[in-house]
Amino acid sequence: MSQRRAIHVDPSELLCTKGCGFYGNAAWQGLCSKCWRDENQREKQKQIQEDWALAERLQREEEEAYAYRQQRTQPHSTPIKPLSKLEERKTKEKPSRVNSVTKLFTAKTPSKKDVSFDAHSSPSPSSSTGRHSSADSDITTKEFIDFLKPLKSGREIFKQCRAFTESMIYKRDIEVDEFSECVQDFYQNLSDRLLTQFKGSSEHVESVMDEVEKYIMIRLYKDVFCPETTDDEKKDLAIQKRIRSLHWVTIEMLCVPVDEEIPEVSDSVVKAITDVIEMDSKRVPKDKLACVTRCSKHIFNAIKVSTKEAASADDFLPTLIYIVLKANPPRLQSNIQYITRFCNPSRLMTGEDGYYFTNLCCAVAFIEKLDGPSLNLSPEEFELYMSGQASPHWPPPTAACSSATGSAALTQVNQSMDLLTGLGVRQERVLEKARQMESDLIDWTDEVEQKVQSVLDSLPAGTPELPVTTDSGTTPTAASSAIDSDNVENELLPPPLQPQVFAG
Amino acid sequence: MAATGGGKTYSFKVVLLGEGCVGKTSLVLRYCENKFNDKHITTLQASFLTKKLNITGRRVNLAIWDTAGQERFHALGPIYYRDSNGAVLVYDITDMDSFQKVKNWVKELRKMLGNDICLCIVGKILLLQTRFSGGAIVVVYSYAESVGAKHYHTSAKLNKGIEEMFLDLCKRMMETAQAEERLKGNGASQSASSRRGVQIVDDEPQATPTGGCCSSG
Repeated sequence: MSQRRAIHVDPSELLCTKGCGFYGNAAWQGLCSKCWRDENQREKQKQIQEDWALAERLQREEEEAYAYRQQRTQPHSTPIKPLSKLEERKTKEKPSRVNSVTKLFTAKTPSKKDVSFDAHSSPSPSSSTGRHSSADSDITTKEFIDFLKPLKSGREIFKQCRAFTESMIYKRDIEVDEFSECVQDFYQNLSDRLLTQFKGSSEHVESVMDEVEKYIMIRLYKDVFCPETTDDEKKDLAIQKRIRSLHWVTIEMLCVPVDEEIPEVSDSVVKAITDVIEMDSKRVPKDKLACVTRCSKHIFNAIKVSTKEAASADDFLPTLIYIVLKANPPRLQSNIQYITRFCNPSRLMTGEDGYYFTNLCCAVAFIEKLDGPSLNLSPEEFELYMSGQASPHWPPPTAACSSATGSAALTQVNQSMDLLTGLGVRQERVLEKARQMESDLIDWTDEVEQKVQSVLDSLPAGTPELPVTTDSGTTPTAASSAIDSDNVENELLPPPLQPQVFAG
Repeated sequence: MAATGGGKTYSFKVVLLGEGCVGKTSLVLRYCENKFNDKHITTLQASFLTKKLNITGRRVNLAIWDTAGQERFHALGPIYYRDSNGAVLVYDITDMDSFQKVKNWVKELRKMLGNDICLCIVGKILLLQTRFSGGAIVVVYSYAESVGAKHYHTSAKLNKGIEEMFLDLCKRMMETAQAEERLKGNGASQSASSRRGVQIVDDEPQATPTGGCCSSG
């Protein structure tokens, strides 16, 4: 294939390797589009069948386990979902999802004995046909495999994660809380196993679990973020509307100790807002948390620059509320729910990220329940602001104040009018003078022209011009010498100093 | 106690409750950074601080969560102290209103978290000479005892009583955690995140080894 990049190309090399007469393409392994499609279809079909078998086996196991659990815990609960429905969905999903998910593993599935991690390094021809999201998860899979490769237990971990993810994909009809329970159980089990069986240090286990979380959640994100079975979306819209209606809340009402006049502070505020908005664009819970943490750090910086003290929670929470109100982050509730359900629990409970996330939850809860007294406002004022009849940025609508401020405004207007008329008069005067000056200038040029003309006329007609110029050229020297000669005292002066050379 | 899983590290979450400006911040800053009113405080924030301890040979990671103490944030308390192992309740001994707030919090904490949470009530004194009536002391101590909490007088300025208070709190949290482990029968999971029920995933780890590929190690 590489020869094709050379300058001399044999035309026969460009043709489809199947010899059908059409031109081939490197991306299609040298086949033409038609032959490639045929070839690919066959391969795909084979994969699909294999995947099908695997999926069916997993499904069976799942259902057995499920039935077993149902028997043990609550025999009267919901019956198992009919298989036909599941199958129908499976066939729908097959071409897109299963194919992309398993594509990387097909190399190992047939030969269990030499399961190797470098299966992915062979070029996967069908990746160009994959959709964007699946390409994304392919990348994470590769990263995950690369990460696990040096680990002794890596193979085992990977197998478990894959099996788990595959099994979860078929279960996305269940309640999201149950789904979250399954994922959390998996985290717990795996980390316990890593600690006890593989004797990993807790830091090491944590880093492995981070990768596991990334791998699993990238795959499941689409199904479990803001799922249809919950009212997350409704809540998203509600909080968004709520924040929009609270646009009038000021820094002073929240007692935020931040002075946005300072450039560094306003810079930090903007960065904090950007970060909290960015949270929605991440897919892994840990990355979302990292956005919240970055946002918090910017807030702390803003507080520290403003107050010159390390920020306590008394300062931090109001500022965070202010930032959330200003940012109105998209799908806020969905994001919070998603993190709560699918983040590694140890991170949420004791870590620093967990602390900031908790504060974000508090901020949202506060905004939802916000009323007059919590902003140091009377309920009436609060109502006025909420209904948009008044705004804290305008003068308060009380009678005495309004008349006073009204007259003040009027006098100000009058003053401005006076100033404006004065300006107009002055400008007119300037214009008049300018016009006069223009005519003066014209007169002056005319005058000069006339004078020049008269001088030219008075000169004899045949006078050559050169002598005149030489004359004018010599006159300065003559004049200067004349000046010098006039200076009689010169002779009394001592002779000028001559430079002398001393042999040093 | 070393019988349960040797060098395992405990992670505890401690919430710091107290009315605004009773000196929560200086308390934690003194404890974690040993600083008081320092003009050159390098830490960006004093709302989330950690401290690593070694108590009778066991490692303990302490995460101290400051909470916003203003009255209007009172309703958010449960979000903060969910899953916490301990709580430090701070009041100002010259301000009995702040002690009343502490009482409210204790009531709330006991209601929400039961006896799983270890409490410390801390009376903040600025100067040792501060005099307060003996009657008040008796009331405060007897109240602390009645709700199963320890009472301490601390001064961040003089660095007095803080170290002892946290040490005692850690010891009690460790006892609680150990009791919980014993109750469970095995000391496998350290945190409160131990989850109930039989999981589907459980079967898979057992199923995969039968494939005979991971024994190679």
